[in-house]
Amino acid sequence: MSEMNFSDSIFVLLLFSTFRLSLPLVLTAVGGYFSEKSGVAQIGLEAFLLIGAFTASSVTYLSGSLFYGYISAALASLLMAQLFCFLVLKLRANAIVIGTGLNLFVIGLIPLIGKVLFDSTGSTPTIPTFDNTLIYPMVTLVLALGLSYYLSEKTIWGLQVKFAGEKQDALSAIGVNFDTRRWQAVSYGAFVTGLAGAILSTYLSSSYSPLMSAGRGYIALAAIIFAGWDLRRTILISLFFGFFEALQIQAQSNQAVSSLIPGEFIQMIPYLITLLALLFFKSKRQAPKELK
Amino acid sequence: MKRENLAPWFGFLFGLFLACSLALFFKESPVHVLKIVTTSFLNSKYDFGLTLFYTTCLIFAGLSFAIPMKAGLFHIGSEGQLTISATIAAIIGVSFNANTFTGLAAIFIITILTGMLSALIIALLKFYRKAHEVVVAIMLNFVFAALSTWVTVNHFQNTASQNPETGLILDAYQIFKNDPIKNYFEQSPVSSFFVLAIIFCILLRWLESKTLFFQVIKSYGANPAANKRFGFSELKILTSVMLMAGFFSAFIGLTEVLGNSFQYKIGFSPSYGFLGIAVALLARQNFIGLIGSSFLIALLHKGASDLDLETQFLTRDFSRVLQALIIFSVAASYYVFTYRKRKESN
Repeated sequence: MSEMNFSDSIFVLLLFSTFRLSLPLVLTAVGGYFSEKSGVAQIGLEAFLLIGAFTASSVTYLSGSLFYGYISAALASLLMAQLFCFLVLKLRANAIVIGTGLNLFVIGLIPLIGKVLFDSTGSTPTIPTFDNTLIYPMVTLVLALGLSYYLSEKTIWGLQVKFAGEKQDALSAIGVNFDTRRWQAVSYGAFVTGLAGAILSTYLSSSYSPLMSAGRGYIALAAIIFAGWDLRRTILISLFFGFFEALQIQAQSNQAVSSLIPGEFIQMIPYLITLLALLFFKSKRQAPKELK
Repeated sequence: MKRENLAPWFGFLFGLFLACSLALFFKESPVHVLKIVTTSFLNSKYDFGLTLFYTTCLIFAGLSFAIPMKAGLFHIGSEGQLTISATIAAIIGVSFNANTFTGLAAIFIITILTGMLSALIIALLKFYRKAHEVVVAIMLNFVFAALSTWVTVNHFQNTASQNPETGLILDAYQIFKNDPIKNYFEQSPVSSFFVLAIIFCILLRWLESKTLFFQVIKSYGANPAANKRFGFSELKILTSVMLMAGFFSAFIGLTEVLGNSFQYKIGFSPSYGFLGIAVALLARQNFIGLIGSSFLIALLHKGASDLDLETQFLTRDFSRVLQALIIFSVAASYYVFTYRKRKESN
């Protein structure tokens, strides 16, 4: 009976931990999905996440309000997206190159702003504990997923975004500017990713620490591509990555497991599984035709 | 010289101007910042040598990105390949006890093979399973980083240090300590690998202009379908460019382990793999141009690292902002420089 309780509690812990750790990943992947689906390759998710995390933590600390923290995170990320869109859609620069540059830009900019605001290039000060810390991520998740699904699958706008990614001339033929749709899709995606950043620094942690996204932007991109640019599959695969992150943390805190399998190997599992999946299951889904 | 060829250099200057102007927001004088980032490499022979060391690694990183790019592949796996290669080089250097020649030959051959094989995975998954090269490279970067950390910390940790790093390679293999270039630059990190990097650039430029194979690679990059119709093997092209990319990534590991620190330190790379993108972009994937663009990025990297001491608010992180703004302006400069042409063709 006691063994049953033990395994039950492990299972519940793992389930809860998976849900918790998947939150930023799911939202980042959903954000990236809109950009990729509209035909704009999005490697700059890491930048949107980090600027969101830093802004949320700084604004929450300075204003004492989580609400302002979340909103400012989304807006800061949106601002970065405008720079990205201007360079990619207006000045026709390569999206992957600009995405890589944007990641570098944000990684360099945050410590400089941190130095001015808090006299520290490392972490931001710890935010106070709020009673409603859990409510914000839950509301964000429900709203962002619901709205994203509705926009992508049930609206003309969503269809036009998909056409911008598949056949831009078809959009032009009906008098819709495909660049406008791409601009909107990238901006919306960045907005959602900024919220994911806020969850990272105010819910999963109590301050911003350097490079706290830990490659989630890249993993989210991998989830999108691995899911064959399908929204529902993208969410499922993000949960899968979240599960292994949770498993790794649970395993590391369990002495018996961590003595058997080193933490680095548990860390590798989701990436190895993705590689094995790529090896054994040939991708049948095509990338959006206009994706570049 | 074609007007478009001036675009990256115009972009470079504009990016530099933008970055220095940004210093105003941090209450620093742009002229002072510009002076530090562009002239600090001239402070001493050691500083100049350090800049040439960065140049060496950036040339190899640039080559590792530029060659697959010619075939239309976006290779961001260099970071993982250089990590695993440096680890292997240090492990052999620490544990394989032989004479200098045999030991160095083993280090060179096994490290290069490691780099090449780790890059080959990307090509094979791309060809046989239609896997996107960016996804595979991202996954491999994580796997190699974790693997390298595990090997270093659990099996080859330097017991005399708290930092995560391997022990020093055997004395017999530290021949680059007495390297004439290193001696000239007051024992700075630069070594003869710098000369090797330049030789590789010249050799590749020659191969590119003289051999059919490089023309096939370029035509595959421009039009894979046409290439297939001409009967050129896609598998051969993909594997060749990725093997070459892995080869040059491995040389970053060798430059670090045999030419600089004589050990593997976790996190030794300031994202060379990603900076290689900026270098290749600035040079428009021209192998000779890579030497100049690597030097420019290296001197800015070196200069920005001195900002900690020379300014109140700007830190070495400014280096990344600088590099990013240069990437932005170089990437966007083609639009400005081809504007008239596009207008006429429209």
